[in-house]
Amino acid sequence: MDKSFYTIFKTFFKVGTLLLGGGYVILPLLQAELVDKKGWIDSDGLCEYYALGQSVPGIIAANMSIFVGYKLRGQVGALAAVLGIVTPAFLAIILVATMLEEIVHLSFIQSIFWGVGIGVILLVYLATKEMWNKSIVDKFTCIVFFAAFILSTCFHVSPALIIVLSILAGILYKKYNFDENFVKKECEK
Amino acid sequence: MIYLNLFIQFFHIGLFSFGGGYATLPFLYHIAENQQWYTVKQLTDMIAISSITPGPVGVNVATFAGFMTSGILGSLVATTSVILPSYILVIIISKFLEQFETNKNVRAAIYALKPAGCGLLAAVAVDMFVNNVNLPGMILLAILFFISVKQKHDPLFYLAVSAIVGLFAGFLHLTV
Repeated sequence: MDKSFYTIFKTFFKVGTLLLGGGYVILPLLQAELVDKKGWIDSDGLCEYYALGQSVPGIIAANMSIFVGYKLRGQVGALAAVLGIVTPAFLAIILVATMLEEIVHLSFIQSIFWGVGIGVILLVYLATKEMWNKSIVDKFTCIVFFAAFILSTCFHVSPALIIVLSILAGILYKKYNFDENFVKKECEK
Repeated sequence: MIYLNLFIQFFHIGLFSFGGGYATLPFLYHIAENQQWYTVKQLTDMIAISSITPGPVGVNVATFAGFMTSGILGSLVATTSVILPSYILVIIISKFLEQFETNKNVRAAIYALKPAGCGLLAAVAVDMFVNNVNLPGMILLAILFFISVKQKHDPLFYLAVSAIVGLFAGFLHLTV
């Protein structure tokens, strides 16, 4: 099977172009391209990378692409994959942002943005809800949620500091309160 | 030096945001409040546009924020630096995959940082609501919310509905 820099780039470029409206669709897209069409990895492997992609900081789609690219052809593959997934997004935004500078002052564009701004609040709420379903599993995670929320809204603590504090809290909590089933359950997911 | 500052800001977003494209928002929000690169209003527009353009939302919005800060070179710096931590970490993790997956501390860290990331995003949602929504906006949001509870739709659907409503609201002078 052809695994040249160009082929890997092209494959991920295609996925990057089709990726629209949030990351929910990346899994079926990669499944169609990498598993069904190219046969580069199998379904189970892809699901594992999906889970791993969420355990690493950064953009999940980029993380997954780098994992798969690296598996296919080491550093070269990783670079090809990440460039492929990022380039369509980059070009699209440059194009839109350049055009936008010309039209943003028009009143009907402002009206559309007013409406869309409301839509965005709903999208952020939906994203929060989805994260809530995945991450709040017990009392401790619930406390972390509210602690992060309050630190951010009331005290304007930097998000990075809140993340670092939560990591420390998690490690300490698990160290003194370790439950063997936790690892097992997490692995089965 | 603006490019160095951009690099630092976006590298730290790439390093500390967990849980997908929207997880970068609390960081971009923090930047809007602390640097004079773009306003919170502009960030909302950027998120909307990023949701309807091809590519991962996190990459779109980083490119956009970089562009707003200092043009095409700015977007190149922002996009590269938001991806760079992923790139380095994923390659290291790929080499030690087994240790990473079963490591107790890694599991504990992920267990705790996910709800923290969720709390940060909830804070953004509340802040956007409190600062940007007038009465007609609240009615629109309530309608959208009701639709989303009834049935799950694609993000594009909500943005399309709100864009059309916005257009009519503009004619009726309800948007200010």
